[in-house]
Amino acid sequence: MKRLDGIARSGLVFLLALVVLVVVAQVTGLGGDPEKIVGPRLAPPGPEWWLGTDSLGRSTLPRVLQGTGTSLLLSAVAVLATAVVATALGVLAGYQGGALNEIVMRVVDVLYSFPAIILAILVAALVNPGLDAAVASIVLVTIPLMTRVVRAAALTVSHRDYVTSAIISGARLPRVLGRHILPNVAGTVAVQGTYALSIGILVEGGLSFLGLGVQPPQASLGVLISEGTVYLTYAPWLLLGPGVVLVLAILSINVLGDGLRDQLDPRTSRSLT
Amino acid sequence: MTHLLDVRDLVVDYVLADRRVRALDGASLTMASGESVALVGESGSGKSTLGSAAGRLLPPSADLRSGDIAVLGESLAGLSNARIRQVRRERLGFVFQDPIGALDPTMRIGRQMRLAQGDRGSIRDQLERVRLNDPERVMRAFPHQLSGGMAQRVGIAMALSARPRLLVADEPTAALDSQVRQDVLDTVFALAAEAGTGILLLTHDLSAVSRRCSRMAVMYGGRVVEDGPTAEVLSSPLHPYTAALARSVPGNTARGERLESIPGRPPVLTSESAGCAFAARCAFAEDRCRNERPVPTRVDGRTVLCHRVAEGVS
Repeated sequence: MKRLDGIARSGLVFLLALVVLVVVAQVTGLGGDPEKIVGPRLAPPGPEWWLGTDSLGRSTLPRVLQGTGTSLLLSAVAVLATAVVATALGVLAGYQGGALNEIVMRVVDVLYSFPAIILAILVAALVNPGLDAAVASIVLVTIPLMTRVVRAAALTVSHRDYVTSAIISGARLPRVLGRHILPNVAGTVAVQGTYALSIGILVEGGLSFLGLGVQPPQASLGVLISEGTVYLTYAPWLLLGPGVVLVLAILSINVLGDGLRDQLDPRTSRSLT
Repeated sequence: MTHLLDVRDLVVDYVLADRRVRALDGASLTMASGESVALVGESGSGKSTLGSAAGRLLPPSADLRSGDIAVLGESLAGLSNARIRQVRRERLGFVFQDPIGALDPTMRIGRQMRLAQGDRGSIRDQLERVRLNDPERVMRAFPHQLSGGMAQRVGIAMALSARPRLLVADEPTAALDSQVRQDVLDTVFALAAEAGTGILLLTHDLSAVSRRCSRMAVMYGGRVVEDGPTAEVLSSPLHPYTAALARSVPGNTARGERLESIPGRPPVLTSESAGCAFAARCAFAEDRCRNERPVPTRVDGRTVLCHRVAEGVS
């Protein structure tokens, strides 16, 4: 088994560090109370408020930490839901084929045909803006991407001889799917899961930026960027924290995904017969 | 007497997006219990389709137009899902061409054998019977850690673990190197003979056939064109295609002499062939061969599909 390459590993390390930082901040109150007014409005970064203060005089650092936590958690929950649904749909459609495959894939195609943000706005309009709208949007945006790829993987796997061999040995459908198809598409699910996670963070950012996702005073990366753009010319530091975290988080998730994909690629990881 | 396998006038099409391809064009084959039959023919002649049909394992794109397949007198076509599962589990075993691909890459050998055979017997014994050294190590290994020959032995052990009545081996040694080849075939045939398992060996390798199978069936264009005792079919072929095939075997030709090849290409059928599928490449073809489908003719204990067999043309 090859190990993750250097870039992918640094992505993983950065993500883990980010998660640890957010959790530690949540537990110990690192950086102060995100909702407490600590100083003048729109003050530049200083020793008391490292990332400056916002339009109400709240310190930006704890708000960025809280916002990062909200965005990551939200996306993670949504991607978990996507992974379960998309894997079930993709494996069934890929293995069974026929009418089931047609129905699943056409529904997924319809979802896929909407631009992500339009779909997210539609969801927010239906379920009222808020956390659940953000989660539901991320799920709807990522399900088509993941279902298509998992289905393709399941389709390939279901033609392998070991599946035929299991059928010959008298295996029932649940055993074929659970013991043979599922473990063999698990790598694909993991790789697609990382991509979905970064898409999730972006969708949350976009939706909250438009005021349809996470609602103030609760912070998320999208909410903070939205607040920051209002004072872009007077207080550019408001955008710096959430912007940098957003970019780095997505970048590290994507390089981690690429690393996983390379590692799971049978062309490079399996020995020749 | 009930036949172990009875394939009767089987017609199978593969339905592709824009066309149909006929894989079997009225193939017939019977096997007695414990008999070893070699099914030989070029790629595309329908061997693998016939082999898959014996386990009702044709892909969804296959359209079974007519004919019937029966295992031990039981037609597979109308069986319930529960019954076909039971028939497969108790009566059938398959060995595949790509030995590593026939094993699940995510599972250790021991675990996948246990899964395949349930609680019947010791896996260690099964692996020892296929003459694998150090079965303990093999059980702990993942498929990609085994050599092709070892993996194929595992595949054979899995296929024979339930003591099936019929073993379908689809070019089981094509992916192995020549030293391992004989050894693996010897193991399959010895174990099958011991268990009373009949073998349907799908192969290109005529020299392997001649030593091990008592009967051989030659396929061409989706039909079995000649079927009889191996020695006789190879030494005095009755069908012109079999004759050409026998002449193209390297071992039968003196050193320095050119091997004879068969002119033209095998046909790709889209519907029932009008006459004999081999007519276009046959040196003895006449009008009747091109326009009239030959019917099976019994000659000296053999079944031959050739209009001119009585004239002894080949």
